Amino acid sequence: MSTRVAFSRFAPAVTRAHRAPAFAARRAALVRGYASQSEHTLTVRDALNAALEEEMLRDEKVFVIGEEVARYNGAYKVTKGLMDKFGEKRVVDTPITEMGFAGLATGAAFAGLRPVCEFMTFNFAMQAIDQIVNSAAKTLYMSGGFLTCPIVFRGPNGAASGVAAQHSQDYAAWYGSIPGLKVVSPWSAEDCKGLLKAAIRDPNPVVFLENEMLYGVSFPMSQEAMSDDFVLPIGKCKIEREGSDVTIVAHSLMVARSLEAAEELAKEGVKAEVINLRSIRPLDIETIKNSVKKTNRLVVVEGGFPAFGVGSEICAQIVESEAFDYLDAPVERVTGADVPTPYAINLEAHAFPDAPVISKVAKRALYRTN
Amino acid sequence: MMLRVANAYHKTQSILACRTRCVSSTPTSGPAKSFPKEHELLPSSQSPIISTLKFFNSVTVDGSQIPTYRVLDSAGQPIEGGSIPEEIDESMARRMYENMVQLPIIDNLMYNVQRQGKLAFYMTHYGEEATLIGSAAALANDDEVLGQYRELGVLMWRGFTLADMMNSSFGNCEDPCSRGKQMPMHFGSRKHHFHMISSPLATQIPQAAGVAFALRRDPHRRGKNCAVVYFGEGAASEGDFHAGMLFASTLPSPTLFLARNNGFAISTPANEQYYGDGIAARGPGYGMHTVRVDGNDVLAVYNAVKEARRLCIAEGRGVLVEAMTYRVGHHSTSDDSFAYRPRQEVEDRKRLDNPLARFRSFLEARGWWSAEEDDALKARVKDEVLREFRKAEALPKPEVRELFEQVYGGEEPWILKEQREELGMLLKKYGDAWEPWKTELKKHKGAGKELMDPKP
Repeated sequence: MSTRVAFSRFAPAVTRAHRAPAFAARRAALVRGYASQSEHTLTVRDALNAALEEEMLRDEKVFVIGEEVARYNGAYKVTKGLMDKFGEKRVVDTPITEMGFAGLATGAAFAGLRPVCEFMTFNFAMQAIDQIVNSAAKTLYMSGGFLTCPIVFRGPNGAASGVAAQHSQDYAAWYGSIPGLKVVSPWSAEDCKGLLKAAIRDPNPVVFLENEMLYGVSFPMSQEAMSDDFVLPIGKCKIEREGSDVTIVAHSLMVARSLEAAEELAKEGVKAEVINLRSIRPLDIETIKNSVKKTNRLVVVEGGFPAFGVGSEICAQIVESEAFDYLDAPVERVTGADVPTPYAINLEAHAFPDAPVISKVAKRALYRTN
Repeated sequence: MMLRVANAYHKTQSILACRTRCVSSTPTSGPAKSFPKEHELLPSSQSPIISTLKFFNSVTVDGSQIPTYRVLDSAGQPIEGGSIPEEIDESMARRMYENMVQLPIIDNLMYNVQRQGKLAFYMTHYGEEATLIGSAAALANDDEVLGQYRELGVLMWRGFTLADMMNSSFGNCEDPCSRGKQMPMHFGSRKHHFHMISSPLATQIPQAAGVAFALRRDPHRRGKNCAVVYFGEGAASEGDFHAGMLFASTLPSPTLFLARNNGFAISTPANEQYYGDGIAARGPGYGMHTVRVDGNDVLAVYNAVKEARRLCIAEGRGVLVEAMTYRVGHHSTSDDSFAYRPRQEVEDRKRLDNPLARFRSFLEARGWWSAEEDDALKARVKDEVLREFRKAEALPKPEVRELFEQVYGGEEPWILKEQREELGMLLKKYGDAWEPWKTELKKHKGAGKELMDPKP
C-alpha cells in the first residue's frame, strides 16, 4: 500500500529526473522527424484519452473503472477530464482491491456493459489475474457462447524508470499465452488511439499494455487518425520502416529503440526493416514471415525477460514455418536481462536493450560483427 | 488518493477552527462524562467520544452470538411467534416440497453413476435442500444468480429440466450450458438468469457486485431486480468475498449475498475457518444489513431471503444472509468425508434435523400432503431421473468442431482456423485407419465429418 502510494505520486517525477535529457532529445527528434508530414501531433496520453472519450460518447455502455481514475484523473492522467464530462456513474473510483474491481468489471461485462478496467500498473494486476485469465478469458468458451465478456484491461506495462523490480515487468508473454484473450502492446499515439478504440469495440476481453515511458511522448497524427472513426485492426502489425537487409521486430517502447538502431545502421549502409508488432495475440506472423523471406535475417526485440517470451514465440513460429528455409543466420533475441529489474540507474540501464545493442545484434545477424 | 487525503486535511482544519470558537463559548460548568461534540475532532466519523477504555469483540449490543431466525421447529410446527408467509398456500408449499424432494433422488443416482466412472464429477446437495429451495422461491425468477456449484435446486426451481441437467452433466451434443466444454455441475443458463459456475472459488462474488452494478444502470431493471450470489462459508475466506462485499456497499450495487454455512469447506470444519461469529458478523463491518437464518427451515429461509431481497433492491445496496445448515454428503465425488468426520456425526445430524422431514411434517399437519403422495412422488421422480439419465447417456458427444468454437466472439483469429484445418486434415488421413480415432469419432455427433469435409 505504501509502495503504491509512493509510486503513484513520485514515479513520474523520478522518471523525468533520471531520463530527462535523453528522453527530451529523443522526443524532439521524433517530432522533428515527422513534422513535415503532418500538422497534428498528440502525446500517447492524449491519444488514449481521446480514444476513451470518443468511445464513451459513441456507446453509453462503455465505462471506466479503477483506482484514482475519476477525481484524481488517473495515476498517469490518462482519464483526465472524463469524470467532468461523463459523471461518476461512468468513471468509477474504487476501493483498493485489484481482484475486487477486476471481478466487478468482469461481472458487469457478463451483464452486458463494456468496462474499461484501469490498473495503476500491470504489476498490480497480478492480484487480479485469476479474474482476467480464469473468468474473463474462458467464460465465452465454457458457456458454449452464451456469456460474452467485452472488457478492456488497460494500464502501464513493462519496465518504467527508477522503480525497481516490483514495478518493472513486461506481462505481454503472460497474457499472450492465454486462449480467449486478445493482447495489444501499442507504441505510437496512432497505435494507442486506433487500437484502444478497437479494443473497446471488440466482443472479447482485451489486455491493453501501455508503457509509462511513452505517455508523455508526442507523435504525429494523420488527418485520418484524428477522426472519431479511426480504428486499427487488432492482430495486424505495422511495418514502421521498410528495408531489405535485416528484419527487426519489436513492440511498445522497443519499437522506438529499434527505429533508432535502424537509423544508425542506415549510416553504415544497412537497410533494416522495422516491424511494430502492435498485437501480441493474435500474432501477425504472416507479415513477419514475408519480411524474413525478403531480408533473410530476423532480430526480435522486447523489454521483457528472455525466457518463454514474445521473442521466443516469434522465433519458434518462424523456424517451424517455411520462412525457416529463407534464414541466412540464426534468429536473434534481444531482451531484458534475466534478472529482477534493479533500482540503481546504472544497473537498470544495463538491464534493458538500447539502440547500440540492437544495431550490434543486427550486424551480427549480417555477419558484420561478432 | 492524494485528493482524498487533502480533503480530509481541509475538513480537519475547519473543524479545528470551529472547535476553537466552540471552546471559547463553552460555559464552565462541571466536567461531563462524555463530550458529544468532540467526535467532530475525528475526521469523517460520527463516533461518540467516551472516557472509558473499552474493547469490543461482538456486533451484538450485549456481546452474545448473533441470533438465528427460525419459523418451524424440528417437528415442523411454527415456533412461538413464528410467522408463516401468507403467500405460502397449499400449491406453493407443495411445489417447494416437490422441488426439495427431487434433489436427493437426483443426487443418489448421479453419485452412483459417477462412482461407476460414467461421469467425471458430481456434487450432492444432501442437507441443503431447504436453503436452496427456500431462497429460490423467495427470489424473482429474473434476478441474476451467480452460484458457487451446489445450487442446482435454484436453477431447477426456475424451470431448468431434468433433461437439461443430465445433458449438461454428460456434456453431450444437447448440453444446453456449455456445449460440452465445462465440467458437470458447472451449470449456466441465460434463459434462467443463472450465470456460468466458475471453478475457482469465490470469483463469482465480486462479479455479482458487477452484475448488480449493471442492473442498477439499466432503466428497465433498476429497482426491480438484484444479483444474488451463493457461496460457502469456506469461500468467504477468499479475498474475493471481502472485495465483493466492499463493492456492493461502497459503489453501491444491489447484491444479495447468500452464505451457505454448511459446516465444512471440503474437510475444514467451520470452527477452523473463522474465529469470529460466523459469516454474519462480517456484514456490519461492511455497513450491510445482515441476518442469520436456520438454513434447514425452508420457511425461515424464504422469509429471510424475501425481506433481504426487498431491502437490497429498495436501498440499491448489498445485503447478507447467512443460512446455517449441514452438508450431509461428501464435498464432491473427489472426497470421502468419513476420513475427517465420524459417520455417526452425520447420521445423528440427519436424524436430528432433516430439512425435508421438517417441511413434510408441516405440510402433513395442514392436510396438504400424505404418505401415499410422498411415495408416489418419489417413485415418479425416480423414474423420470432414470429415464432422463439413460437418454442423456445414450446421446452422442458434441461435434468435434466444438473444440475450436467460442474461443473468441466476432471474427475468428487465424490461429483457430489453422488448428481446425490441421485436425480436419489429420482426421481425414487417419480417422478411418487408426483404431483409437475410429472408435472415438463414432461417439461424436457427425463423426468429425464437419472437419474432414468442411463446407466452404
